[in-house]
Amino acid sequence: MSSRDAILGRVRSALARKVSLGDTAAIDAHIAAHPVGLQPQRDWEPEARFRARAEALTSTVEKLGSLQAVPAAVARYLVAHGLPTGGVCWPSLRRLDWIGAGLGMEDRPARGDDLVGVTGCFCAIAETGTLMLLSGADTPAAASLLPETHIAIVETQRIVPFMEDAWALLREEKGSLPRAVNFVSGPSRTADIEQTVTLGAHGPYRVHIILVG
Amino acid sequence: MRVALFVTCLADLMRPGVAFAAIRLLEHGGCTVEVPESQTCCGQPAYNSGDRATAIALARKTLEEFEGFDYVVAPSGSCGGMIRAHYPELFRDDPATLKRIEALAGRTRELTDFLVSVLKLDSVPGNYTGTVTYHDSCSGLRELGVKAQPRALLAKLPGVTLTEMNEAETCCGFGGTFSLKFGEVSTQLADNKCGNACATGADAIVGGDLGCLLNIEGRLRRRGDLKTKVLHIAELLAGRGE
Amino acid sequence: MELRSNEFKARAAANLGDAKLQKGLGLIKVKAVVNRANAVAEFGDFEALREAGKEIRNRALADLDLYLERFEREATARGAVVHWAENASDACRIIVDIARENGVKKVAKSKSMVSEEVGLNEALIEAGIEPVETDLGEYILQINDAEPPSHIVMPVIHKTVEDVADLFHEKHGTPRKTDPAALTREAREILRPQFLSAEMGISGANFIVAETGSTLIVTNEGNGRLCTTLPRLHVAITGIEKVVPTLEDASVLLRLLPRSATGQAITNYVSLHTGPKRLEESDGPQQFHIVLVDNGRSKLLAGEMREMLRCIRCGACMNHCPVYQAVGGHAYGWVYPGPMGNILTPSYVGLENAVALPNAATMCNQCGVVCPVKIPLPDLMRTLREEQMARGLKPWAERMGLALWGWAAQQPALYALGTRIAARVMKWMGGSEKLIHRLPFVSGWTDGRDFPAPAGKTFRELYQRSKR
Repeated sequence: MSSRDAILGRVRSALARKVSLGDTAAIDAHIAAHPVGLQPQRDWEPEARFRARAEALTSTVEKLGSLQAVPAAVARYLVAHGLPTGGVCWPSLRRLDWIGAGLGMEDRPARGDDLVGVTGCFCAIAETGTLMLLSGADTPAAASLLPETHIAIVETQRIVPFMEDAWALLREEKGSLPRAVNFVSGPSRTADIEQTVTLGAHGPYRVHIILVG
Repeated sequence: MRVALFVTCLADLMRPGVAFAAIRLLEHGGCTVEVPESQTCCGQPAYNSGDRATAIALARKTLEEFEGFDYVVAPSGSCGGMIRAHYPELFRDDPATLKRIEALAGRTRELTDFLVSVLKLDSVPGNYTGTVTYHDSCSGLRELGVKAQPRALLAKLPGVTLTEMNEAETCCGFGGTFSLKFGEVSTQLADNKCGNACATGADAIVGGDLGCLLNIEGRLRRRGDLKTKVLHIAELLAGRGE
Repeated sequence: MELRSNEFKARAAANLGDAKLQKGLGLIKVKAVVNRANAVAEFGDFEALREAGKEIRNRALADLDLYLERFEREATARGAVVHWAENASDACRIIVDIARENGVKKVAKSKSMVSEEVGLNEALIEAGIEPVETDLGEYILQINDAEPPSHIVMPVIHKTVEDVADLFHEKHGTPRKTDPAALTREAREILRPQFLSAEMGISGANFIVAETGSTLIVTNEGNGRLCTTLPRLHVAITGIEKVVPTLEDASVLLRLLPRSATGQAITNYVSLHTGPKRLEESDGPQQFHIVLVDNGRSKLLAGEMREMLRCIRCGACMNHCPVYQAVGGHAYGWVYPGPMGNILTPSYVGLENAVALPNAATMCNQCGVVCPVKIPLPDLMRTLREEQMARGLKPWAERMGLALWGWAAQQPALYALGTRIAARVMKWMGGSEKLIHRLPFVSGWTDGRDFPAPAGKTFRELYQRSKR
């Protein structure tokens, strides 16, 4: 008997299974319905909530009127923080006029020594101030991870109240899950040494969010 | 209202005054108090030591002795919790007894809870004067929801000032036989409790469970503190020494 | 991990006097406990959330076989390879085989308690494969001669910043520094090349989602993301009980887990992995293997410890346990310390190999009221105590004492006489101080505490007299 069959056999006998093998009706309905479970009370407006929570997570947030204004804003942010004016960006953002803003943004896979990464996001979640990023050819996962500074562009109409709303949007627009779904909530951190919170463990030291809308 | 006093084995052996104080408080609230004479122990030490058979035997004995009353009141969250929260589980496979046990459990109350929630006392006979700090015993707090009741009663004593300690809800380390089996750890927890209690500057540590109080007093005295009093809340509320 | 749970009593007592350990443990009360309390209060109806979490975990366990099969089907359809490991050695063999077949020399690991449970690092090293722990805490332990963790979420809670400063100075040959941020940067700079050069990343999984065949990890440092993004192979190892039905169910549990663990509303990263790198992608592992480990879990499902399988490994039970707070995690002698360990350790390694653990609790139920999935931990400990009694695993003296006392308590007349005598003897022993400094048979009490002497007469006697 394979390990698989042995384990499942023990599970079945533990559950005193009566259903015939292959009868999955018990779980199919729940999975097909995937009902929304308990959520916190919503007494907030999504954009304001997103902003407040993101800032509480030590991200910085600014808002622009249009996507065209992003490169200049990125340039301002990098210069103000004394950061390099170049780095890596998602291929999906390659059409923005980075050069016009004096930036050297390359739409290639991120490397271990990249210092700045600019990405968009699939959507953002107001409840927790979280970015939802999907991996893909034009939206590689490493760009938001390897650089010390992560700048994320969020269209305000893509801010949804809860994680469950993000799943609904994903099912509607993509049908199935990409290889990686990454929820990002502020700069990476650790509190392993004496429970002292330290920003910038293995991922970005700073996350700057540019709201567009 | 006919109320049976569940004396508790620790009050019987160690501090009879606590049981007398409980009687006084119940009578003050207009109850007819009876004390079934053959009572001994609720069985919790056996239950928590894994001796289910003895626990069941003692639960049956308690049932026989206490089932005819309007209420059963214990000056202990631990014994009260055993009857109210755990007895039914002991008889999960015995439906006939379970029904009677559930009725008993439903009528069993911890003393301060009974005085506040059922009798709704608007005064207490005691006249204690001093600053006290209150230790929340685990079973009373987490099994029976005893938290506000003792404080509401203390507030009825004009001479008493309550100063809350840090970690009032943290276990004192007694844990019944735990205090013997893991003496060093138990002592350490008692020491933390003493430290938190003494830091309030209160001249008495008050609680609702003699097990905890003996543990706290034992550690307090070994630490060399012979001054801070350790009192059961019934003694404060009823007045001492009568 | 070496099993030392039967040394609990001695190691616990020794740890009480360990000043450095006590310093670290002291921080739990002022940080982890306070942070959780704030997060719970901020949420609103956290009790309803706990109930919802319990129901989701119960639903998964009630149809565990079906959900596992569905998970396997969905994961496989997306190109992942699902392996089943009956026990620790199976799990190690499966992963070592995957590594060997793919010429793996170095593995970057993110934190996984199941990998500790099965002894994966030892197995990899034996096979000539280098595992590199990348969680800061786990890395500190690994370079300190593979010291075991003392907490499931905060593995180096027993170490001070000075300890880490000395260790990094010695092992890295760098100037000694005592700023946690500087130490963290030093570890980052040493570990970054390891992520980039490792051929395989190993992660755990906080949940696996049946609906989509995804594994889900929560991390704060980002090492979990690196381990699952950069190396060409990703292996996720986890227990069979970790399955949840849907993404919506996972979302509810994600509201519970970080709040209970660290007081965060959400961890910095929550990552779901569904299959390997797609053709068009520029990053991600070419192979994705998922190792589902039984190692005793199906046995728990069959028995009275079933509720323990709801556990989502947040660590709240140990953070809030007065015993854990006093003695630390190493005293428990295996992977899972604190109240959860009091149940899991004897369940997985045998009751006879962890005799003290189910008893190492005051039954204060602080663990039970904070558990995010409402596991009645004290009740489960008590059930194990009953099993110990039935199997004769309790010390002779305890059994005799209990039997004698239990018998006497059922003989009211004899009991009354016994307590009359005891009250008098103990009063006499207490003398004018009314304190007993030494009592035979209960040195566990009197070594550190006096025993307040009784009044001298029992209530029973006095009450009968008052009625006459």
